Order: sequence, then C-alpha cells, then structure tokens
Amino acid sequence: MFIGTEKLTHTYMPGTPFAAEALKEVSFSISQGEFSLVIGPSGSGKSTLIQHLNGLLRPTSGRVFFEGKVIGFDKGELLRLRRRIGLVFQMPEEQFFSETVYDEVAFAPRNLGLDESNVRAGVKDALEKVGLNAEHIQSRHPFQLSAGQKRLVALAAVLSLQPEVLILDEPTAGLDPAGRRNLFNLLDKLNSTAGLTVLICTHHLDEAAALADNVLVLHDGKLVLAGPAEEIFARRDQLCDLGLTLPAVTEIMHGLAEKELPVRTNIYTLDGARKEINKLKGRREK
Amino acid sequence: MSRSITLGQYLPGNSFIHRINPRLKILSLILILVLLFSLQTYAGLIVLLIFVLALISTAKVPFSYLLRGLRPILYIALFAMVIYFFFTRGGVVLLRIGIITVESEGVREGLFVITRLVTLVLFSLLLTLTTTPLSLTYGMGYFLKPLRYIGLPTEEVAMIMAIALRFIPTLMEESQRLMRAQIARGADFETGSIFRRAKSLVPLIVPLFVSAFRRADELALAMEARGYRLGARRTRMYEDIIAPGDWAVLVFVLTLITVTFVFGL
Repeated sequence: MFIGTEKLTHTYMPGTPFAAEALKEVSFSISQGEFSLVIGPSGSGKSTLIQHLNGLLRPTSGRVFFEGKVIGFDKGELLRLRRRIGLVFQMPEEQFFSETVYDEVAFAPRNLGLDESNVRAGVKDALEKVGLNAEHIQSRHPFQLSAGQKRLVALAAVLSLQPEVLILDEPTAGLDPAGRRNLFNLLDKLNSTAGLTVLICTHHLDEAAALADNVLVLHDGKLVLAGPAEEIFARRDQLCDLGLTLPAVTEIMHGLAEKELPVRTNIYTLDGARKEINKLKGRREK
Repeated sequence: MSRSITLGQYLPGNSFIHRINPRLKILSLILILVLLFSLQTYAGLIVLLIFVLALISTAKVPFSYLLRGLRPILYIALFAMVIYFFFTRGGVVLLRIGIITVESEGVREGLFVITRLVTLVLFSLLLTLTTTPLSLTYGMGYFLKPLRYIGLPTEEVAMIMAIALRFIPTLMEESQRLMRAQIARGADFETGSIFRRAKSLVPLIVPLFVSAFRRADELALAMEARGYRLGARRTRMYEDIIAPGDWAVLVFVLTLITVTFVFGL
C-alpha cells in the first residue's frame, strides 16, 4: 500500500450539537505511479478525504497510510510528509499573497529552508513543469494573469516542493474548456513522464476518465465503489443511481449499444470512440 | 480555532426561551440587569441565580457551553475576589498574614459581587445562546430607531451588523481553509519568535482580505440587483410579531422588579 486509509472516519466539530460525520469508515489503497480519481456528488466527503492524506486533518478514528506506514502527527514527520505529498486546494489561486509570480512559487522552497540559488532553480523548474515560460512570467503580478495561468502558477507553487505525490481538489473548477484540457494534459504528463502519483477529485469526467487507473466513488461520506477505472465505469446503472454521469463519449457508446449495434461501451476518449465507430462502419461496408 | 470563538454561539432549539420575541428578550435582559445591580441581599441574588439556571435547563443548553461562556470572566472574578478579600475592612478577622488581613465583611461582599457577576453573565448567555445573531441585531436595531431622528442611519447600521455577523463563520471557515492550504505549502504558523510568527501571517491575511473585498463587491452587486436602496423602507421576511406570551414574559420581569423593591431584597 503506497497511499491508503483504513476505516477512516472524520467528524467535524465533534461533541457539539453541530457535529457532522463527513467520512465513515473509508478504506482504500493506491499504488505508486497510479492516476486515481475521487468522484462523488458535492458534499460527499472528497475534500475531507484528501486533506487526511497529507496530515492536514486528523482522523477522528481510523488510520492513514503512506508507503505502508501509518502517518504520524509529530512535527518533523508531518513536514516530511507534506514535502513529499503535494496538495493543491480547490481554487488555489485564492491563496496568492505575493507581489510577483516568483515569490509566490518560491514560498514553498523557502519554507523548506533552501538557500536562494536552490530556490531560484526550483522556481524555474516548477514553472517549466507546468509549461510556463519562467523568464517571461516570474516578475509579473500574480493577480494580473489569466485564470488559466493563475491556476498553473498555483500548481507550480506546490510542484516547487518537488513532491512525489500530487493531490488536487477539483483542479479544473472555474476554468474554460481549453484551460481544462490543458490542465488535464499537464497532469497526464506529470503522471506518465515525471512519474508522479496523482490523485484528483473532479466532476469533469469527460476529460479525466481516460487518464484514470483507479476510481474511488464517495457518497454521503462512505466509499461506495473503488477499483480499476474500467470496472467502475462499467457499472453505469449504479453510478447513475448515485447521481453521477459517465463521460459523454461513453454515454454515446452506450446509446449505440442500446440500438443493438455491436460496439464496446468501455470507451472514454474521443479517439477511442472514433476508432470504434469507424470499425463499425468498416464492418457495415463489407 | 473556531471553538474558542464564542460569537456565533447560537444553539438551535425550539424551547420557550428560544421562541420569545427578540425585542422583548433584549428588553427583559436589560431590566434584569438593572434588577441585579439594585439587589442588596443574598436571598434575592440566590433566587435569581436559581431562576436563570432553571431557564437554562429548559432551553436545553449543555453544561459545557455555560462553562465555556463563563471562562472569559474567570480573571475578572479572581481579581475582584482578591481586591474584596484583602482590602475591605469590617467584621471578624478570618485570616492574618503579617499586616494583611482577610475580614468577614470582605468575604461576604466579595462573594456577593462574584455571584452577581456570574448571574449576570448567565442571563446574557441565555440571550445569546437562544437567539440567532440576526434576530439579535434586528432587535437591537429596533431600540436604536429613535436615533433616526437625529440623523443616524439606524436601519443601515443594523444591516451592516447583520451582514458582518453573517460573514463571521464564512470568514472563519475561509481562514481555516487558507491556513491548511498554506501549511500544505510548508508554511509554519506556530514556531519562531513573535516577529517571525507575525510575518508568517502575511500568507494568511493577504488572501483573506482579497477574498473579503471580492465577497463584499459581489454582495453589494447582488443586493442592488434585488432592489436594495439606501434609505428605502424595507419589509422583512420574518415579521417581528409580539405575541401574548411575550407580553407575559415582560409582565413577569416587571413583577420581579416590583417585588424586589417592595420587599427591599
């Protein structure tokens, strides 16, 4: 088990009349290098779950694992953990406080106590990882950037910790379709080329489904489904009952299958759909 | 962090106390506070203390909430006790340490003052624990209304207060979220000298201000879009109706005061 939880339960404001159980006995595990999705309706506990994975929230009961070991809560251990597991919050550009993009991205490495030449190298590296031109952008004011650029800078501000795991809460919330596509491509690249283990909460299955190795489905604080992406997406009816929808292309394939056309339905990309439909057409023409 | 903030301490409930009209609740509290300060005897004070505890138990307020509400006055009470015990003369000498004496009159008065303080805070807690901040604000706004005649925009002030109250929990939540987000980026809010710690708050305060201004802007726009105009007369969704039961409460409080004065308690 690289990252995982065991019977993780979290109650907000325990012992008060406002106590709310946000997670109920959630157990899962993912392996190193995998790309995982956490899906579920709003308020299902996604954000609460991921904030446990780098020790920002403490379990009310249950345990959280990293590299097969239960994570500890003493200061040094937490610092090491947070350095290795980068967490990008929802709307991360709302955390900006610096006057230049450089200072914003340098915040994390400076907190690690690196000297300024290492910080400079780290900032450049992080900005380039997210596909921004460091020279061009680093002296600009972060509030003057476009929404898409802000999001990338916010991502770079976490990547500058050089984490091995990247966890993102709704990374594409509030982005336009082009920004969304760009961000998912970037995450795919970070996962496949840079070898980062990636875990994201998302509502945008259209783009994310094709990237996923694993899917966790949360509903009302409980983990209702978990497993390899193909297995989870094959349970269309169950997902529908939970108020979730499959990617549009998959729905189209299901629609074709319902019209008794011989197509596969486990297709999550436009490319895959195109090939499958072309195959169908080829067979017809024969 | 949010646990130490007692401002939004309203406890939802549906007891008799919860349902009393907020205007009359505030008025009754003021009258009771006046009563408390005019009380001369322990007997009267103890009756009021038992009375407030009984009311609190009918409102189903957990005991822990009372203790938490009383914590802020702990030091004031201790301070008052020390002053009274050591510096009030009269009665029998109970304790003598060198030239310092504790005399019975001082103990009697000290305990009286502290009991009065506790009772006072309990009554105030009863109000704030059983009334939503919003109805409290509107209730107070009502009593400020006469100030309109000297040109004070009391309705607008009440609106400002209500909005401020409404956004306290939001901003608290936001600050916690920001704090966690910056901690995830390696920020450290806890260690180091005072200067260092003050500096470490910049990544928290700047975004908080930015979002507060953004929210204010959006809210102003939303309010104007729904027809809010300065100085315009507004009606309320929940009308502030005083029921016969509410009048009974006021009559009861007035009776208490009369009894106290007549019998010189």
